[in-house]
Amino acid sequence: MTSTVEATVSRAAHPGATGAATEPPPAFAQIVRDHLDGLYGYCFRLTGDPADAEDLVQESLLRAMRAYDGLRDPSRAKGWMFAIATNAWRDLMRARGRELRTTSLDDLDPEAGEFSLFQTLTIEDPFPYSDELHLDFLRLFRDDDVRAVFGSITAAFRLPIVLTVVHGFSCKEAAAMLEIPLGTLLSRLHRGRKQLERGLWDYAVANGLVTSTEEDRR
Amino acid sequence: MIDCREAVRRMWAYLDRSLGDEPVEEFEAHLETCQRCCGELEFSRHLRDMVADTDQRSAPAMPPELRSRVELLFADAETSTEGRA
Repeated sequence: MTSTVEATVSRAAHPGATGAATEPPPAFAQIVRDHLDGLYGYCFRLTGDPADAEDLVQESLLRAMRAYDGLRDPSRAKGWMFAIATNAWRDLMRARGRELRTTSLDDLDPEAGEFSLFQTLTIEDPFPYSDELHLDFLRLFRDDDVRAVFGSITAAFRLPIVLTVVHGFSCKEAAAMLEIPLGTLLSRLHRGRKQLERGLWDYAVANGLVTSTEEDRR
Repeated sequence: MIDCREAVRRMWAYLDRSLGDEPVEEFEAHLETCQRCCGELEFSRHLRDMVADTDQRSAPAMPPELRSRVELLFADAETSTEGRA
């Protein structure tokens, strides 16, 4: 299957597709090698399992090799590789009878869609009190804490964050990779962020990083 | 003029530089009149950086065994390309 991004890369770099080739394309390995760690990290994020991530990397590379003639713009190799990996992962999920879960955030938690961590911190002003209240709240989290909260976000809402925030793709590129309209991508990005905010607050309260006024009242 | 709710919806896309010209103008016009959203934008920027930095620090590198298998794959590809040439 050829994704929108894969096709776009081919077309964009291949306007007209006529005329004599001036120089041979760089070797596949030369183009892809720089992105291997990023690709593995992305596959690990997609699958959440080291063995599945390894299988996905290999499947993605095999597909990329077969489709390499379609890549005429090496500077876009990373997006092209990630699009192929996303497709391969989607096929893997289908083969296993698991579709990407897109349950409404409202269904998961009616209050989560409107939750604002910024607002909650302002209102709760949790202990320890600080002049830099909002930023100090974030400093309470170690890497393990952030990973735990981030990993708990619904996959369909987490992926847009992974692609845009972690890997630096534009929303337009991420939407093409996930084969969804830009508006849907923005909506999922928003929902993912809301789950992240709610998750950070709940985690902080549950693990004693802060004492909320609600806790004080009990 | 957009309201705070819409401004918050656009915040991360703004930080990603993924908004079109008109939505950016509307968003920035809102910021000029809303101190609260300026504060939330700053907070969103730090939250976003926290997620990205955490991932960068803890992203697993490709295991050496897998890298070896991948290099074999590359070598096979080169061989077959030379064979076709």
